[in-house]
Amino acid sequence: MSDLLSLLRRVSEAGIEFVIVGGFAGIVHGCTYVTQDIDICCAFAPDTLLALQEALADLHPVHRMTPGRKPLELTAESAGRFANLYLDTDLGRLDCLSTVEGLGDFAQVKAASEPVEVEGMRLNVLTLDALIQSRQALNRPRDREALKQLQALRALKEGGAKESP
Amino acid sequence: MATETTSDKQAGKNRVQPLDAIQAAADYGIDVAQLRDNLALTVAERLRRHQIALNTVEKLQKATRR
Repeated sequence: MSDLLSLLRRVSEAGIEFVIVGGFAGIVHGCTYVTQDIDICCAFAPDTLLALQEALADLHPVHRMTPGRKPLELTAESAGRFANLYLDTDLGRLDCLSTVEGLGDFAQVKAASEPVEVEGMRLNVLTLDALIQSRQALNRPRDREALKQLQALRALKEGGAKESP
Repeated sequence: MATETTSDKQAGKNRVQPLDAIQAAADYGIDVAQLRDNLALTVAERLRRHQIALNTVEKLQKATRR
């Protein structure tokens, strides 16, 4: 059974700097759909990816997009070759991205994020405006509903809908 | 005094107006009342409710695979 918040806690407690992007960021902002994975954007420096691998080691991480779902076995050399990592773990799916469409690399994504406090964790999540920008840039049919939800959430907030602090 | 630039005007033109966005979502079949309810929750509550929904989805998927 997935436990996406525990998965985030693993990555956060390993000291890895990341921003929550994609569908899960939409959930943070109030979207009503269900997503089965977490997308994060982080620096793709070998040290960061090796720290990520260590944080997930006992969760049996595998490359979920590769034939045979190969185990995550990064080395200092191979870690420098990836632009994205699509992982499955015992706690759920984790997609790690080096860039976000419409926003840019980790530094740009971080600049477009805001902190949120969840169960003692301080997490960075894309702002609602940045999330809308990235969905518009992707322009995929599957993003249409998410985009409509995000735009409606922004409109509700601007219209003064009661929001929890 | 701040003045509006051409790019500001363009950005404003491209931005969906609030009432239009809410109506567009409703027309698309989105439950806007549920979005409003979610905004009243804390982030932790939103994530907790999502996790409950995800657990249900995974149980149903598992059941249909049998």
